[in-house]
Amino acid sequence: MTRKQDFEQVGEFTWELPKQHDGRMQAPARIYGNAEVFDLAFRDNSVEQLVNVATLPGIVKYAMAMPDVHQGYGFPIGGVAAFRYDRGIISPGGVGYDINCGVRMLASTIHHEELQPYLESLTTQIFQDCPSGVGGKGAVRLSENALDQVLEQGAHWALQKGYATQEDIARTEDGGRIPQARAAVVPSRAKERGRPQLGSLGAGNHFLEIDVVEEVYDAKVATLFGLRQGCVVVQIHCGSRGLGHEVCNQYLRVLQDAPQRYGIPIPDRELVAAPVESQEGKDYLAAMAAAANYAFANRQVLAHFVRLAFEKVLAGKISDWHLQQVYDVAHNIAKVETHDVDGKLVKLVVHRKGATRAFAPGHPALPEVYRDAGQPVLVPGSMGTASYVLVGTPQAMAETFGSCCHGAGRTMSRHGAMKVMRGEKVRSDLEQQGVTVRSGSLRGLAEEAPYAYKDVSLVVASVTGAGIARQVARVRPIAVIKG
Amino acid sequence: MGTWAEIDHTADVALRVSASDFADLFATAARGMFSLLVALDAVTSSLVCTVDLQALDAETLLVDWLNELLYLAESGPALRAFVAFEFAVLEPTHLRAVVRGGEVPGFFNYLKAATFHNLEITATQEGYVTTLVFDT
Repeated sequence: MTRKQDFEQVGEFTWELPKQHDGRMQAPARIYGNAEVFDLAFRDNSVEQLVNVATLPGIVKYAMAMPDVHQGYGFPIGGVAAFRYDRGIISPGGVGYDINCGVRMLASTIHHEELQPYLESLTTQIFQDCPSGVGGKGAVRLSENALDQVLEQGAHWALQKGYATQEDIARTEDGGRIPQARAAVVPSRAKERGRPQLGSLGAGNHFLEIDVVEEVYDAKVATLFGLRQGCVVVQIHCGSRGLGHEVCNQYLRVLQDAPQRYGIPIPDRELVAAPVESQEGKDYLAAMAAAANYAFANRQVLAHFVRLAFEKVLAGKISDWHLQQVYDVAHNIAKVETHDVDGKLVKLVVHRKGATRAFAPGHPALPEVYRDAGQPVLVPGSMGTASYVLVGTPQAMAETFGSCCHGAGRTMSRHGAMKVMRGEKVRSDLEQQGVTVRSGSLRGLAEEAPYAYKDVSLVVASVTGAGIARQVARVRPIAVIKG
Repeated sequence: MGTWAEIDHTADVALRVSASDFADLFATAARGMFSLLVALDAVTSSLVCTVDLQALDAETLLVDWLNELLYLAESGPALRAFVAFEFAVLEPTHLRAVVRGGEVPGFFNYLKAATFHNLEITATQEGYVTTLVFDT
């Protein structure tokens, strides 16, 4: 059992558990957050899960928890850990079921007052054109060959099919295509689930939101990102749908006996893992990358249909209804990256489970347009509350492998949230706040109610206080679409 | 017949399942899972599927069983739920079953998968108990 007093406060927003705390730990564990966030981490099993991650072989620097941490399976949600490519592991428990769940933001020059008369009809149009809900079929049906292309080319497939612009591709993490992807190692059952679902939002905590830029903290960077005070932006939060879930499921099964075969001591069977360079490790990396590419293509296709909805509703009424991509980030993924470790460049597999990449200014992976500013970091709040656009910092590169938080982080179970308020009441409260709501499930609204989450401002204050990101702008929702 | 109850879990959905024997545990876990998705009373038994699974141990078999049912529920042209389960074979590492259910208009909830989170099947004087956590 790990207690608060076992941690040492090493910075105003950083708490460290020394490696010596548990003989199995291969590295110290760190929690980012102010005192309130640090206390919240002990409300569930998050800290034990973080300690478990620190026991895995090949871990570099620290096992880290971002301020939005809460318990997951295997890794905690909000967990970041990097493992050496040459002698470390890769684990599906460090990625999650919804591979490359992520967020895309599109910006406009439409002032929210100008949009107001059309907001209801625009929200309805997007709800109709962007399918959502459990098992929901997508806007695009794929042949077997086309699905294989999506899996290996990601958003570039969407570009070839007219669903994307070159600028969208440049403003997507990894250009919307992870090179290690191989369609051949994606299980057939995953492909079967993926073929009808491209261009769909799904259910759970996924959403599509129309927001207004409420406050700008860094005018120069906000302008570069296309964010203008009072203007409308769109956020799309979703992932790889049933295909990603099935890849995770099947590889959890494939890797069941890998820890024993490779002599990897795992404290929890949800952390099944294989050496990165083993056949199983390579196959999982390739299948996970393929699912990630599917998710990039999925958000790209949804962005296309959102743009069409804007055109259908606003053309002839508003002079410029176009949406320009700000960025697209993954927050459930394992990536092969090279980082400075003790003065040497080392090839690593960085697991970010409920954590966002936050690369600093000058990083070569950034598109030229953002290279001097740093990577946009999209941090959605809970439904009906503010979201933040941050930017990566050199300190994130030095401390967290260029990683940051991904959202508000739950504090209440779905079951608990439903006991507090019914979906009808959540909807009417949101509408009273001026938020238009379209949802296929009232129960889903109750489960995702704002009171079930931490205050996102607290999370953002923690990462900016720790110096691993800087604030650029805050947005507030005016319309929410949920499955 | 076994019982189930939904219990709190910060991020996900969890069920505590109690059953009189091993087959009852698997059937009750399945019924409990589908109770999170639909009103069980409203589901017909017009649709029949077979399930045949092998696993390393009983816990893995239980997780595989539930995930197989979730797959069958979502993979057809319409959503489906299953409410009746007959086991021709049920050993700790092998299961062969006939499952019955019907098409449903929608699910209350979204379950990505049954997980191994703190999963342990415990034998008691009354039979078996376990806690199942579903990723949502």
